[in-house]
Amino acid sequence: MFSSLITCRYRSAFGDWLATIFALIIINKAGGLIYNKTFHEGGLNKISTNDYLVLAGTFHGVHAITTRLNPLKNVPAADRIPASTTLAGGPGMLTRPEPSSGLEVLESENFRLQCFNTMTGTKFLLFTDTTQANVDVTIRRIYEMYADYVMKNPFYQLEMPVRCDMFDRKLSSYIRELNNR
Amino acid sequence: MVVFSFYIFDRHTECIYSRSWLPPSVTEAAAPSVVAPTPTPSAVTAIPDLEREHERNNQGGRPRDRRSKAAKAGDDAKLIFGTVFSLRNMVRKLGGEDDAFITYRTGQYKLHYYETASNLRFVMLTDTAAPSMRNVLHQIYINLWVEYVVKNPLSPVEHKGGEGVKNELFELGLDQFIRGLM
Repeated sequence: MFSSLITCRYRSAFGDWLATIFALIIINKAGGLIYNKTFHEGGLNKISTNDYLVLAGTFHGVHAITTRLNPLKNVPAADRIPASTTLAGGPGMLTRPEPSSGLEVLESENFRLQCFNTMTGTKFLLFTDTTQANVDVTIRRIYEMYADYVMKNPFYQLEMPVRCDMFDRKLSSYIRELNNR
Repeated sequence: MVVFSFYIFDRHTECIYSRSWLPPSVTEAAAPSVVAPTPTPSAVTAIPDLEREHERNNQGGRPRDRRSKAAKAGDDAKLIFGTVFSLRNMVRKLGGEDDAFITYRTGQYKLHYYETASNLRFVMLTDTAAPSMRNVLHQIYINLWVEYVVKNPLSPVEHKGGEGVKNELFELGLDQFIRGLM
């Protein structure tokens, strides 16, 4: 409570100078919402848990579609416009293109959404201020915490909602530190 | 910076204009086609044009590959509209009614979005290094759409199947404008 008051005061004093992390959502590989936490009141609209569930499902579907929309998927590697590297085999050699990734960053007028898709299909969505920097580092740190305090918890059931005190506490203190910097 | 494609959707969610600046794919180059494929990224594929070609091909008796390509372009437009519509609603729910979805980026491409007050939606796909193209889409709306489509006395109010949008001045102006950016 106290920390959020301080953040608000800085905000009014310096305009949008202070970058803030608003919220975190974790979506399992089936598109279900398994974790949802707001760190900063006033950044995003308050929506009900049911709306969060709908949002998670929608995002899961949209993410799959954005993977399919890759305009370069039918273009032969040699013709690809950002011709970054040519392999030793030359253009005749068949090269397997890098698989298309889905949505990574979304920007709107009021916030920025970073999505980190793990190898197993779990998605971490971090909502931040539009000016927040180094979000990918933050999100990786959160993934590490998830691995340490959720996956290593013997009572946690896979693909089920995350209810781990340790994870909650570590995450909150880490984000509070970033938001107050 | 590279622009891959550009779409306009009307307020009835219909794709009324689409254009691609992608180089022709291998399959297309291998197959004999009506339009000679050029090696530079200049293959212009507007959906209405493809439909016309498709009709011509039907008479010529080689309908297969063309049809699938037109259908594919149409499918892509539908997928893009669905994505953009869902994301816009999501952004409005979280950021408030006045918030607007601007862009998203994947590892391979970037999608830019601009919506006018009359729910006309402009979408552009570029490479990931491109800066924000919101003002570019706004310029297309002001300088091309309003000038050549809205102010055209022969243009219909609704653009069913791209009618009224595929006029020469608009297409030429758009092509020049985009090529100027690349």
